[in-house]
Amino acid sequence: MKSFVAAIFFLLLILWYLSFLASRLDRLHHRVETSWANLDVLLQKRAAVALEIAHSGLADPASSMLLTGAAYQARDAEIQNRSMAESGLSGALGLLLADSQDAPSDLEHALLKELSLLTEKIRVAIAMHTDAVSSTQMVRKKLIVRSFRLAGTAPLPVTYEFESDVL
Amino acid sequence: MLTKKLRIGIVCPYGWDTPGGVQNHIRDLAEYLITAGHEVSVLAPAIDEEKLPGYVVSAGKPISIPYNGAVARVLFGPIAYARVKSWISSGNFDLLHLHEPAIPSISLLACWAAEGPMVGTFHAAAKRQKVIFAIGPILEPAIEKLSARIAVSEAARLTLTDHLETDAVIIPNGIYAKRYSQGSAQSKWTGNTIGFIGRFDEPRKGLQVLVDALPIISRFAPDVRVLVAGPGDIEETKKNIDKQLLNRFEFLGRISEEDKADFMSSVSLYVAPNTGGESFGIILAEALAGGACVVASDIPAFDSLLGAGEFGALFKSEDSTDLAKVIIDLLRDPAKREALSRQGQIHAQEFDWDVVAQQIFSVYEMAIVGGSGVSVGSDARPWNRFLSRDEEKR
Repeated sequence: MKSFVAAIFFLLLILWYLSFLASRLDRLHHRVETSWANLDVLLQKRAAVALEIAHSGLADPASSMLLTGAAYQARDAEIQNRSMAESGLSGALGLLLADSQDAPSDLEHALLKELSLLTEKIRVAIAMHTDAVSSTQMVRKKLIVRSFRLAGTAPLPVTYEFESDVL
Repeated sequence: MLTKKLRIGIVCPYGWDTPGGVQNHIRDLAEYLITAGHEVSVLAPAIDEEKLPGYVVSAGKPISIPYNGAVARVLFGPIAYARVKSWISSGNFDLLHLHEPAIPSISLLACWAAEGPMVGTFHAAAKRQKVIFAIGPILEPAIEKLSARIAVSEAARLTLTDHLETDAVIIPNGIYAKRYSQGSAQSKWTGNTIGFIGRFDEPRKGLQVLVDALPIISRFAPDVRVLVAGPGDIEETKKNIDKQLLNRFEFLGRISEEDKADFMSSVSLYVAPNTGGESFGIILAEALAGGACVVASDIPAFDSLLGAGEFGALFKSEDSTDLAKVIIDLLRDPAKREALSRQGQIHAQEFDWDVVAQQIFSVYEMAIVGGSGVSVGSDARPWNRFLSRDEEKR
């Protein structure tokens, strides 16, 4: 009788732990999604600002062409090619900013300011997203999570490889 | 900019009425956010509930426990847990900002209890300890609930990645840079003066390093004076000072914020000989903002705050001879002093609340995306809902 009670207790404990792990995992997946949504919005905004810069007096025709192309690519990229396209846009923006330091007008000044604010935010968003992804991956690696399929049908999140140093 | 108005709940782990860097940071942040039009409630342990400002809610009396080499006045336990939960559920917050959630305190309890957008700020910098490998797995489920983590310095970030294997965004502590730049030089503090502010009887503040350096300094600069401000046992400290040099020391006791600004713009050099245990070094940021020429020990926090010597001179920590050398060099070279303090004052603008609060707020904005406010996690469980309804009937 005693061992029976102990077995039941043990079983309940395991069940509680499984539900605890599942809710933890659910929360983590949620975090991955929201941080991605954040990053996505910011990147879209950046592409829009890049287009505006391309059409402003800041860019000479050649770099304007380069920038427009990169911005469109970043906006239309499939999820697999996204990080490559965004890095391309970073590169194009970097090239342009490197040699456009000479006295811009008010409007252009505002554009550059907006861009630098966005870049700051994107940096934070990337850090948040990468962190969410890596903690999710860590929990999903656990044997107990895999054997009980606690993650359900949620796809395994992958880190977004963004070259933050070219931002 | 700071447009969207939020309801923000901030949790302070340490007793509100004991002085400390974390408490000051939370007070300034809360007041800044309130001025910007947000609704802020701070939950903190407090000894005297009468004296609390309107935005602070007491969680009970703190208890003193030894933690990380010092005595921490924190609070936890079942009664505190219940208070934390009722504060969360009655607050109807859009977001919780928890400070130092990795130590046993109400911050950890709040992190455990709450469900929804949460931001955590990590202040402490500590060496890697074995005990953390035992604690880590317990903390992990709570810490991973935070939507975003902030570290106040590179040292604090490294502590976090080392101990809990999670990354953080670095946002420094804030100061009101304008207040410090408005100080005016007082003739009683000018001349060949070396300033020191802090609890001078605490060994890790390093006053002894400066005392040991003084015999050498006074040989090269006979008229040098050391001005020591801050709380502490003066008589006990005087015993450790050479009798012949005693007249070079002046103990000012605790000084007000306005005096601090004057102090920083008066002294020739501001010296921070701390030997460790410092995560950010807010006093250095204040000294820079006040236009002082700063000499500091090369502990990691100071090294990064001073840009590896760009905004202030560094000396080898705990090495009085090196400190003496650096001080003599600077006392003899007013032009170099001038250049360093000018660089420093510009750099200090980065720590101004206008900049820092904006950075913190953009983290808030990212944390609340997709969230629908903060609630107490356990309320959502069916059996608890049943139980609490029972209680209400009674």
